[in-house]
Formats: sequence, C-alpha cells, structure tokens
Amino acid sequence: MKSIYKLFVLILAAVSLTGCDVEEYPNLNSPDLDNLLEDPTLGDIQDLVGGMQAGMRNNIGGYLDNCGVIGREYYRFATSDPRFTSDLLGKGTAVLDNNTFYITNPWAARYRVVKNALIVLEAVDITKSDITEEEKNGIRGFANTIRAYELLLNLNLTYQNGIRIETSDPDNLGPVVGYEESLNTIQEILASAATELDAAGDDFAFVPSTGFEGLIPEGGDHLSPADFIKFNKAIAARVAAYRGDMPAVSALLGDSFLDVNGDLQAGAYYVFSADGNDVFNPMFFAQNSPASNARIAHPTFLEDAEAGDERLSKVTEREESLTLDNLTGDYDFFVYTSNVSSIPIIRNEELVLLYAEANYEANPAEAINAINVVRNAAGLPDYSGGMGAAELLDEILMQRRYSLYGEGHRWIDMRRYNRLGELPTDRAEDDVWEQFPIPLNENVE
Amino acid sequence: MKPTLRKLFFLWFMLSAPIGVMAQEEVNGTVKEASTDLPLPGVNVVIKGTTTGTVTDFDGNFQISVSEFPATLVFSSLGYKTIEQSISGGGAVNVVMEQDVTGLEEVVVTGLATTIKRSNSANAVSSISAEELVGVAQPQTLDGALAGKFTGALVSANSGAPGGGLSVKLRGVTSIFGNSQPLYIVDGVYVDNSSISGGLNDVSGAAGQGSSSNQDNPSNRIADLDPNDIKNIEILKGASAAAIYGSRAAAGVVIISTKRGKQGKTQFNLSQSFGFNSVINLLGLRDWNEERALDAFGEGADVAYAEARDAGTLVDYEKEIFDNKGFISSTGFSASGGGEKTTFYAGMSHKNEKGIVKNTGYERVSLRLNLDHRVSDRIKLSLNSNYIYSSADRGFFNNDNTGSTIGVTLTSLPPWAKLQPDAEGNYPDNIYGGSNPLQTIALMTNNEKVNRFIIGGSATIDIYKSLKSDLQLILRGGLDGYNLNTRAIFPKELQFEKRSNGGLNGQSIQGSTENKNINYSAFLVHNFNTDSNINFRTQAGITREVFDRNSYLISAFNMIASETNVDQAGGQRIDQFRLKQEDSGFFVQEEVNFQDKLIGTIGLRGDKSSNNGDANKLYYYPKASLAANLHEFDFWNLGKVNQFKLRAAYGEAGNFPAFGSPFTSFNSTFIRGVADQSVVGILLDGVLGNPDIEPERQKELELGLDLGLFDNRLNFEFTWYNKKVDDLLVQTNREPSSGFTTEWKNAGNLKNTGVEITLNALPFDGEDFTWNSNVTFFKNKSEITELNVPAFNLGAFGASLGTYRIEEGKSATQIVGISPDGLVKFGDGEPDFQMTFNNNLQYKDLELSFLFHWKKGGDNINLTSLLTDLSKTSHDYDDFGLDPTGTLPNGEYRAGQVGTSADVFVEDASYLKLREVGLYYNFPGELVERWFDGYIANIRLGFTGTNLLTFFDYNSYDPEVSNFGGNGLSAGVDVTPFPSSKRYMFNLSVDF
Repeated sequence: MKSIYKLFVLILAAVSLTGCDVEEYPNLNSPDLDNLLEDPTLGDIQDLVGGMQAGMRNNIGGYLDNCGVIGREYYRFATSDPRFTSDLLGKGTAVLDNNTFYITNPWAARYRVVKNALIVLEAVDITKSDITEEEKNGIRGFANTIRAYELLLNLNLTYQNGIRIETSDPDNLGPVVGYEESLNTIQEILASAATELDAAGDDFAFVPSTGFEGLIPEGGDHLSPADFIKFNKAIAARVAAYRGDMPAVSALLGDSFLDVNGDLQAGAYYVFSADGNDVFNPMFFAQNSPASNARIAHPTFLEDAEAGDERLSKVTEREESLTLDNLTGDYDFFVYTSNVSSIPIIRNEELVLLYAEANYEANPAEAINAINVVRNAAGLPDYSGGMGAAELLDEILMQRRYSLYGEGHRWIDMRRYNRLGELPTDRAEDDVWEQFPIPLNENVE
Repeated sequence: MKPTLRKLFFLWFMLSAPIGVMAQEEVNGTVKEASTDLPLPGVNVVIKGTTTGTVTDFDGNFQISVSEFPATLVFSSLGYKTIEQSISGGGAVNVVMEQDVTGLEEVVVTGLATTIKRSNSANAVSSISAEELVGVAQPQTLDGALAGKFTGALVSANSGAPGGGLSVKLRGVTSIFGNSQPLYIVDGVYVDNSSISGGLNDVSGAAGQGSSSNQDNPSNRIADLDPNDIKNIEILKGASAAAIYGSRAAAGVVIISTKRGKQGKTQFNLSQSFGFNSVINLLGLRDWNEERALDAFGEGADVAYAEARDAGTLVDYEKEIFDNKGFISSTGFSASGGGEKTTFYAGMSHKNEKGIVKNTGYERVSLRLNLDHRVSDRIKLSLNSNYIYSSADRGFFNNDNTGSTIGVTLTSLPPWAKLQPDAEGNYPDNIYGGSNPLQTIALMTNNEKVNRFIIGGSATIDIYKSLKSDLQLILRGGLDGYNLNTRAIFPKELQFEKRSNGGLNGQSIQGSTENKNINYSAFLVHNFNTDSNINFRTQAGITREVFDRNSYLISAFNMIASETNVDQAGGQRIDQFRLKQEDSGFFVQEEVNFQDKLIGTIGLRGDKSSNNGDANKLYYYPKASLAANLHEFDFWNLGKVNQFKLRAAYGEAGNFPAFGSPFTSFNSTFIRGVADQSVVGILLDGVLGNPDIEPERQKELELGLDLGLFDNRLNFEFTWYNKKVDDLLVQTNREPSSGFTTEWKNAGNLKNTGVEITLNALPFDGEDFTWNSNVTFFKNKSEITELNVPAFNLGAFGASLGTYRIEEGKSATQIVGISPDGLVKFGDGEPDFQMTFNNNLQYKDLELSFLFHWKKGGDNINLTSLLTDLSKTSHDYDDFGLDPTGTLPNGEYRAGQVGTSADVFVEDASYLKLREVGLYYNFPGELVERWFDGYIANIRLGFTGTNLLTFFDYNSYDPEVSNFGGNGLSAGVDVTPFPSSKRYMFNLSVDF
C-alpha cells in the first residue's frame, strides 16, 4: 500500500508541475500588424503594396452599382435584397440609410486600402532593409497616389457630407472635412505624390499589378515611376475637373497619358482572374440572368441614344424582359462580358473627353475636335450641333454618358453640373439622391 | 483482491471502529435491491444518532455492533430511498431498498469530483433522467431533446435540417460576442460543440452584402452523442453553480453521465423505432390570376399562367419540395452487467433518418463501452469509450446573394414555372430565379461526415478510510477527438453553375477538420465527520485542458468532366485555420454539512489560458453557498410540510475572449499576372486586435425556496437569480475610416434577472393508476447596465430590415429598426416567459406521457415573407390587415416598408408546442414470462410523436429559427430556412 501511496504523490506532483504554465501562442493563422511593424522588411513592404492593389478591387462593384443605379444607367435586381430597388432609387418613402451595406461596405473597403498605404509609409520610414532612397520615394509616391484615389471614390459617394482625410491614428482620427476642402486636399496629396515619383529613379522596388500595363509606353517592358506619374496626373486632372478648375485640367492632362489620337481604351484597370486566390469581376452577370441577380439597362439608355451609336453594344437585348419591384427592362447591362473582364480605373477616352471639357468654353474648336474623336470611334459622324457653350456641354455630357457607361460617372457628372433633376425616375415617388450619408459608425453628428 | 487481503482490510476496518464501553451485540443481515432482488453493495448502515456505521460488502452483507437497544439503523445509498429500521436486539436484519422516485435523494454535482444530495443542494440544479430524455419520444439529437424539459433555458432549433443545429441559452444572454453556448462535459470529458462551416458561402455569397456572418447552417457537434446512452443530464445554469468550472462556465455547464453496468445478471435491451417526419407548416401559394401574374412577372406571364392553369400543370413547388415524408429508423442494443470486480455497459445504435426534402438525411452509428473495475477495495478504475460515425445531408437553404439556394429561389417561383426534367433527366433552367430547385435537390451534395472518439478514464483511490474521516484521490483524463469532413458538390449541370449563365462550371468544396480536446485533472477529497454529526468535506485539485484544431477548406471550381476531386478542376482556393489553446487551473472547496440542517460551501477556482491577452495571469472565480433545511430542525412541527429549504448561492465564472482577439491580422491577397508579374499581398482584415483583452466575468446570485408537502407528493421549487456579466467582450465598431471596422474590447456590463418556478405533483398514486405532473414557469429579463462604447447595431441585415441593438439601459436583446421617427424599438428577442406542462399517466400497463411547451413573446426578424413580396409570390400578398390605413394589401405594404420602417418585419415569435407525446403499453410480466419461457423479461410497445401540435401566429415556417446559427445574438432571424418537421414514431423495446 505504501508504495502505491508514493506513486500517487508522484503522479500528483508530476501533473501539478507540468500543469503550471500555459503556452503563449503567436498568431497562428495570419501575419500580424504589431509584429510586422517591429521590423518591416522589404518583403513586408512589397506585400503591403500588393495588398493595396488587390484591396482596391474590394467592393468596387458596390461603388459602381451605387453610381450606376442612382445615375439611372441601369437597375440592379436582386430577389434576395430589396434595397437595390427601394433605397437606392428612393422608392416610396425609402431613404438612404447610414448603416446599410451600400454605403458601409465600399466606404470601409476604400479606407482599408488607405490604411494599408499609411502602414506602407510608416514601414518605409523605419525599415532597416537595404532600400535606396529612390526606391523609398517610389514606394511613397505610389502609396500616396493610390491613397488619394481611394479617398476620391469615397468623396464621390458622400459629396457635400465630406470624408475624413487624416486617418493614421485609429484613436485620434482627424475631422470630417467638407467637399471642397477634401477635393483640394486630394489634389495636394496627388501633387506631392508626383514629386516623390519624380525622385524615384527608373524602377519600382515592388511588382505593380498588370492593370497598370496600359501605361507602359511602346517598347517598354515594365512600369517605371515616370509611367506611373502619368496615371497620377490623369487622376489629378479628373479631380481638377470636379473642382471646376479648367486651366488646371488642361495642364494636368498635358502631363498625363492623354493621347487624343491613341487607343481610347488605354489606361489603368482593375484586373481579375479565375485563379483560386484571385477574385472575379463583381460586375459580371450572364446575359438573360433571372431577377435573382441581374443588371438591367435603364430603358432611357436606348431611347436617348443617337442612331448608329456602336456603344449600344454595351447592352444586349434579352430573350424576355425582366420585371422586379415594378421596374422592367428588355436589355441586359453587358459592359463587362466575363467574370475576368477588367474594370477601368481611368482610361484615355475619359481623358479625351476631359480635354474637351477643359476647352469647350475657351477653345471650342479644340473641344469639338476631341468630341469627334470619341464620336467617330463610336461609329457616329462628326458633331453637327450648335457651337454655344451650353450646347457643347450637353454634347460632352452625352458622350461621357455613352462612352463611360457603367464606369461610375453619369451620376457624378449630372451632379457637378446641377442636373440631377434631369435624371429620369420610373415610379411615382422615386427620388434621385444627391449623396450618401456618412456611415453611422464614423460617429459623426 | 485476494481473500486474505480483504480479511486484512476488514480487520483493520473493524479495529479502527470505536470500541463501546457497554455490552455489545452483533447485528447482521443482507440488503437487497427491490426490483431485481439482487444484493446491494456499498449501502451505508449507520446507527441513528451516532457516528457508528458500516457499509455492505459485495454480497450485500453487513455486520455491526450495537451497544444499546432499542436502536434504529439507517440504511442509505445513492439513488435509493433511505430506510430506517428499528431493532430491539441482536440478530439478523434483512432490508430491501427501493429506487427513489421523488428525486429528493438524487445527487447533484457540487464539486469537480463530488456530489451532494439534492435535498442539501443550495442551487436549483436541473436534471433530466434517461426516462425524461428518451423515454417519451426518440429525439433527433441530444440537444433537441432538451427543449422544454427544464427551467431557465431557451432551447431553439436553427432550422429543420437533418442533423440538428441548435442554440441552448441558459438564463438569458450571457455574452454578446463571446461564446454563449454551454460547456458540455460527458463523463468528465470536455466535449466539443463547434459548428464548423462547410464553405457553402462560396456558392451562396450570403456573407457578401448585408451581413458578413456565416449563414451556412452547419450542425453543432453535440448532436453526435447518442441520447440512448445517457443516464442523466445535469444543467448548471449559471456561475453560482458552475463556478468550479471557472473560465469556461459562464454560459452554464451541461454535465452528462452515461449508463454504467451493475453487478449481477447480464441484461440486454433491444429497441427498434421507426416512423416518419413531415413538415409542420407550409406557407401556401398566392391566389393567382392573369392580372396578378402580369403585374408580378411582366409581359407573357399572364399567358403562361393561363396556359398552365388550363392544362392543369400549375405546380405548388413549396409542396413539391417540402411536403414529403422522411422515413426514420432507429435501432439500439445494449448489454450491461458484470461480476464482483468488473462491470460493464455496452451500447450500440444505428439511426437513419431522411429529411422532408429529398436527398437530405442523417445517419449515426454509435458504439459505447463503459467499464468499471475494482482493483481492490481501495482502487476503482473506470473507462468510458464512445465511437461515433455520423453523416448529415443538409440540403442548401438559408440566405444567399446569388439566387442559388433552394429557399431563396422558392420565393420568386410562380406555379406555372416549368422545372420538371425531361425523360433523359435534363432539367430546364428556371427563368424566374437563379436556380432550378428541383435540379439543385437532385444533383447537389452538402454532406458533413464525422468520425469521433470520446474516451475518458478515471481512477478513484481511497488513500485512507476510517469511520470519521477518509481521503480520496481522483485522477481523471479525457480525450475528445474527431475528424469532420465536409463535402459540398455543385455539379456543372446546375443552372447557376453553367458557364452560359455566368456560373463557375461546377464547384467542389471540401473541408477537413481535425479537432482534439484533451483534459486531465487530479483531486483530493477529504471527508471528516465529527461526533456531533457535522461533516466537513474538503477538496482540492488541478485541471488542465488542451485544445487543438486544424481545418482545411479547399474550394475548387471549373470542374473537369464529371469529377468531384478538388484536383480535377481549373482553379482552387485553399484556406487553413489553426486553433490552439491551453488552459490550466486549480480549485479548492470546503463543504460543511451540519446534520443535514445547514449545508454551506465555499470554493475558489483559479484559471489561466493562452486565449487571454496575458496568458499566464491567473483569474480567480470564487463561490459560496448556504442551504438551510428548516424541516430538519427540532422546532419544525408542520407534519404536512416535510421539506422546507431556503437556499442562497453565489458564484463567479468566466468566458474567454475569442481565439485570436489579441492580434491585428492581415488577410492574404493575390492578383494574377503573367510569369513573375503576379502580385501577392497582405491587407488588414478590419479587426483591430487588443493585446490587453480579458475574459468576461459573470457573477451570479441565486436565492431559492424548496417545499415538499404531503410526503413529497407535492414539491415546489422557487428560484430567483441575478446574473451580472462584467467586462463584456464586445467587438465594438470602429470608425471604418481608421481602416478597421471593429475592435475587441472589454466594454460594458449586462445583467439578467429571472425567476424559475417548478411544481411537481403526484395527484394520484394508486394501485392501478398513477399520475405524475410537472409544471414549470420561468422568465428572464436582461439589461445592458453599462456600455463604454457608443450604442451599436448588431446582427441581421441592418436597421432598415430590423436589427439587434446594444444600448445602455436597454434590454440586451432589443430589436430596433428605422422608422419615420428615427431608430425605434420594435421588439425583443427575449420571451416574456416560458411554461411547460409535463405529464405522465399510468393505468395498469398503459402509460401516457406528454409535454407541452409554451413560449410567450420574444420577437423574430422575419424576412422570409419580405423576400416573397419582392417577387409578389407571397401567400398573403392580396390579403389585408397589415397596413394600418387599410389601403394596401399585405404584400405591397411589406415591400413598401423597406427603407421606411422595419416595424412589419419584427414579428411575435410566441408558440405553443406539444413537444412530445408517447403512448406505451408494457406487456404484463407474467404474460411475457409465460410466452417466452422466461427468456424475455419485458416488452414495451409505444407510439410517440414530436411536435405533433404547434400553435403560432407567425408568418413563416416555424418561429423557432435562426439564419445565423446558434451563437451570439443573431438568433431569431428568419430567411427562407429548412422548414421544421414533426415526427411520428413506433417503438418496440425488449429487455432480456
């Protein structure tokens, strides 16, 4: 018995000794921010830049649907969610909610990329890796350009409600800044990013997405900082147009990849693929999709078109019309023809039309020249309308509507020229919204 | 043990007994068990008013010296009625002990290694016997069998899908973001109850839009246990009872004991049940006509409708899909028995049931062997082992954003749609939705397969034992290991997989999870009795638990030929998730029992865990309780009141932060490019980690009164509790512009108060007729008493469709929504109260049992009807009643409320259900004996039903529903679920 006793005491002692401490596990499933910022390597920074580029695509479908549906370019049908046809179109007494997916998801997705950019900027400053100052500038210029662009997309949704610009410290966020000031700041960020890119040497220290391939001049084999400046300037020109600063638009377009006689499709794109770890184009639905999930061209897109406009190929006639929630259409929205089609970020056709817009008052002939480039490309004859500024502006907006259909412009264009009232409504009590509310969780009064 | 050793032990035992001064006489005899007539070992025999006593040996024999006559011998044993036998002199006394039916002598858990008589317990511990669990109706799953059977719980099925999926909430909401499901312990083994998703979201896209939550509707793993193996379930509903389980106990503990063998003749039981299930409730069709068809589906629909109507080809697809009978068969075989040293229980069962939707079903095979072995009088070993195989085919339901699930597709399906396959089995595309549900049902697979071992062992060692005191060492270890394989196959022929419809050309999503829980513990229990019959019981122990999980999920698409292997595909995405956790703790407890009059307990548990921000910090959870049996005091003279107990208990328990919450993590990203131009990357996942995160702490005070009247034929139990949760774990919203959408914080307190009343009565107890009745009433109210972050919405799909909202000073389960006056409270998930009415009537050999369960109040967010409104297919589309102005029909009104007010989506989810009913006939013993020459001891035949009657005024399939599964606060959201079913069964049970 006694020996058994001893055995028990031994067991108990053994169990209690090993039982004292528990292991502290690291993050088992993914990289960790605090860990990364302790000693960011070049590899970490490259991955952060890669994450920014991938993150730019997140919820871009939500953004485009917001612009496309409110801009009456197309209807978004979904039998599993009523809010595309009620809230977004202002059906009955429905209004835009500040805590619903259509604003919360794209807003958060854009700021997620902004945050990654801010981490990149911090990591570049503190890294001990062997990176040249030029390479650091390249990374900074790239991160800041993307950051400015992402801010712009959110500002496009919330408009006069503004956005937050200063967001580096989660516990001490900057104020929400109004529309004009935000646009100015975005312009400034783009300008200083351009300066950084100027001092970035010949090569980036990271791999840019193939979506930027269209910026590489003929004969080049990779995207250089100088090529990327042209993208930066193109975005800046768009911002200047939103600000109504036409001389600035002209100047910025001069430094951009604008090529009035070049390929109108050339530019920067969001790219998608069927690779398992990659993502699909969220804007693609097959033709003749049922109401469970469909984008149906707004009937006015066909009604208002000039005869012979080849851009009507962006919509295709359905075998049967589709009805949901008292909305009916006969044509599918078919801008993106497969689940790996690219979505433009900005392309030459927009720049050509921005060129027209910058010139229609000061230099109508130049403007008409640019308009004709776009018209001819669409199989239409040269512009034959009036030469007055108002008529030219009508024509430019018309060409923007058809050229940039489904790329998120119509609603914003009509808004910046105070023409939202001209957008058609389909049901008696439908509304055309001017802007989205700031998401509830921003805790803005 | 060798006979010599036994004699030695007996000698030692006798020597240590106090030696009387007066002349002594020997009293000896045998104790037998009433029903089996077998000797009963281990019965305590004590001379009343003294501490002199002994225990019966393996043959039921005892021998005791009595110094003074007349004397009274008290015979007591757990689970049996205590007998007091007066003796006037020495000689033989033979006693027959009956099993206790009143339950007062039943024991309940008070320590990790000890139990206490229920009559002495300071907590209202609910327990469910095997009889209550499976005696009336064969349940589908273990947790499903708990509904309505004890007070203080909200047991709710997430859907009617075969294989279970339930949420069990004990005494209200205990956590908002942390685990809110109780801890399950089976024979000392910590048993995993996870719900692991099979990756269906890759097809349904449900998490894309309004909600990022999993809506895959996986089953939970406690469903693997075979209810027929269970002897008893005890439920510790809050910290006051569960504090000894420390940091995992805040949501309560369900302690399950399985059956064990008894010494004696080997007994066999064979049971066979079969029956079927059918849908409880269908919604029905809209009353169609040409005009309505045209209005709902546009040009051509009116013609299609009229043609189908005239040709008689209108199809009620809801009926077609749900109105089927699913066959159920359940076979069980058990054997138990054993010799002097070793006893065993072996159970085997096979259950196979089909769901009401074709190609859904559930199959389970369970094998159990429980062994008890006495190495010697001092050492007892026991081993419990259970192997389970289960397979559930769960169909494809709940919310989606791709129009692919069966439920969502039904909402937009008119009866003239042509979905039937041609002669070659080719299904046409459904032009009214994203999928052809008949095709989906026929071709898709959504299967969960589990192989699981649950093994536990324990050693109980009497280090020393005397009449006054004894010391026991208890060592325990347990392992719960399983492998879960999920297989979701969507062949390329499916409408939503076809390339021409923008599909991915077939998907094969296969997951594999290996889960291992290991726990060990060691305790010392010391008993000490004073001469004045005060018992001190001291226990101390250490515990350690290790959890290890590794999951892979491979989602392949663009399948090659008709292959389903994930490598036979154009693309794959792979996810891996690892979970490791180590907990370590100790506990000490002291119980003092003053002559069964006053019973007091104090205890302390200390725990640390790798899941806390600071892994090696000890968190302490104290407890204290006192029970006063006033009827045991000498002044008590109310003869009719034979029990009067006042009790108070206080305890604390914890709840861990979610795994990984200290970390700010990145997701990986990828952009394909040619050659080396692919871009890998990392992007924040949106959750700001908190390295200082601490466990939630629950503090519960429970007060109660127990009354026993008329010889315990009427029992009344009243309990009031106040349960506070401090340091609430909150995944609080961050300003999304910070790059984070949420952050883990300890950010508030909540409180649950409630009452639980149980009334047990035995109104008739005659020779031929007995009636046993039980009524319970319980209610709970919660309040967020403090919130250190701004009030926030939670769960469901946002305020425009109704959402939960956590707000200081308000109920934790309030449901709010938008309205013309801003955000308004429209309801509350918490029921006003619940009542159950359980009856057992026996007339001669006939037995009737039934259980009614009434849940009054408690609201759901019902979006099923809204989804049908959008396609104008709702059964009540043209009815009036919802619109207060009376101008709009229901369907139009509901659809029109989107974006205006969420009022109409928040619906009262009250119900009254006949949970179980059973009518049994026990063939008379003599008859059976005569028929089968004594080979068969017992035959029992019965018809049973589950949910045969359900009453509710709720506009969907069943108010008991949850689109988001069991955890957290998102219960009660109704989005086109798998409808629930009722079950009819025929049972035959033979003992031999």
